[in-house]
Amino acid sequence: MKYFIFMILSFHAMSETLSQRYEKDKYYYTALNEYFLETYDKHKSKEDLERLERLLYFTGIELLEDYETKLLEQYTTSSTSFILGRRFAQSKQYKKALSYFEKVHEEHRYFPETQLSKSKIYGDQAESLKESEALERCKASSVKQENQIESVKIKRYYRMIFEICQVSIARELYKKGNFRESINAYDKITKNSYKWPYIILEKAWAYYQLGDYNRTLGLLLTYKSPLLESYFFPEAEYLAALSYFRLCLFEDSLIIAKQYDQFYRPRFTELYKVLDKNRASQNYFYGLMFNSTDESKNNDPFVKQMISRLKKQIRYSLDFNTVFKIDQEIKKILEIQDKAERYHLLKHLISVKENMINKINYNTKTDIFNFLESVPFFSSELFKVNLEIISRKRDLVYEKHDLTSNRSRGDYSNVKRSRFEQFWTFEGAFWADELGDYSLGLKSNCELKEVEGSREGQ
Amino acid sequence: MRFFLSLWLLTTSFYALSEDKNVIYQYKKYEKFDLGNLEVKGELIAPGDISVRERGRRRFELDLFSRKNFDNFQKRDVDSIR
Repeated sequence: MKYFIFMILSFHAMSETLSQRYEKDKYYYTALNEYFLETYDKHKSKEDLERLERLLYFTGIELLEDYETKLLEQYTTSSTSFILGRRFAQSKQYKKALSYFEKVHEEHRYFPETQLSKSKIYGDQAESLKESEALERCKASSVKQENQIESVKIKRYYRMIFEICQVSIARELYKKGNFRESINAYDKITKNSYKWPYIILEKAWAYYQLGDYNRTLGLLLTYKSPLLESYFFPEAEYLAALSYFRLCLFEDSLIIAKQYDQFYRPRFTELYKVLDKNRASQNYFYGLMFNSTDESKNNDPFVKQMISRLKKQIRYSLDFNTVFKIDQEIKKILEIQDKAERYHLLKHLISVKENMINKINYNTKTDIFNFLESVPFFSSELFKVNLEIISRKRDLVYEKHDLTSNRSRGDYSNVKRSRFEQFWTFEGAFWADELGDYSLGLKSNCELKEVEGSREGQ
Repeated sequence: MRFFLSLWLLTTSFYALSEDKNVIYQYKKYEKFDLGNLEVKGELIAPGDISVRERGRRRFELDLFSRKNFDNFQKRDVDSIR
């Protein structure tokens, strides 16, 4: 009898594939690799596909970003369909992308993200109705997934997806010129959200389009609070200068342009130096993110602030998490007694980790570079505002006119507010609950008055 | 005969070319104008009112950047997830 049981057990062990064994031992990344080696040229049963989904649940899909399209196309799971859909969307093959997104199951964990990606495609194709529908589905499914999950981190992920979809709705309304509705949609994002500091600028634009320049300036003032120190946007400076210009407060506009020149230019130079010196490096920016290099410790606070802002992106959390889990698996593999097996497994995992580090490095570099691109653009736009101010001032001189302002400008009567908003005067301190609700009370200076004595002089 | 004719043509053209190069133009080195003796025929009129017709100055306004959409922000958000 004992012999019989032993026979059954050893038969079962023999029938177990290598990937199954690794999976059982919780070497998920190693198991995933073995899984593809075992199945790529075979018929994939339902169990095989279910097992892939299970493995991807533990590893995440970040690793598959580098896998060949032809290989992934053989595996018809929601996860692989999502990856392929994103890949085709990035190369603007929208029809193919949408067909893959359709294959993502409604209950699947990537369904909310799929809807967000679909909305982006419909937005690019100017299919407004389909875009709105996808965004609504994105929101509903995010809330559903958020409620089902126990893990705080994953809950936060779904909250972020929800907020990005909500902001997308606000942006769509802005694009259509429905600025008031757009502001209402932005207001649905709470102040403790990761997205909130970013939407201040967008809301400020919406108020600008409504002609409420005082509210625009008030919103942009929020960026001056110590809490939002790491959020600096050249566009916010430009919009403030533009709003002062629309209020014909030319001197204030010129001050902003001057400050911009003094504040951003040296920091721009500093960042450029960092980028240029390490342009070809495969891991410098990764080190910068972890503050692990000696050089990064000496960096300008501006660079540090920017890095801390980038770290708050979902992408970095997911990628760092993957690197962390790979490290854990490497530690476990180091405990394997068989030297040959240990060497074989480590070799694979180290190359996987290297790929992930390269990816983080590349994304950081790209983000910094994209930011740098916006600096010269808004510098030139500010310069145009300057020119326009000079031109207006010259016209005033020619026409023997002056602007009305006597510089005692702030007044409550100039503040536009809804019946739900309270009014408190600013006492020089930024209170957290007040952030984002500021409004200046400036009187428009655009009314003309004749220069005294101009008639007599003629 | 042909030979002589071509030789003659060659020499004359050579001379013509060399003459072109050596042309020296000479201007008068000194000329005197007696302005007191110059006579100008016409009437002397005292200047009256000078009137300039006013015209509206044409204003050119620079095309200042104003956001039409947040498409690039949307792309950044979608890309920042993965």
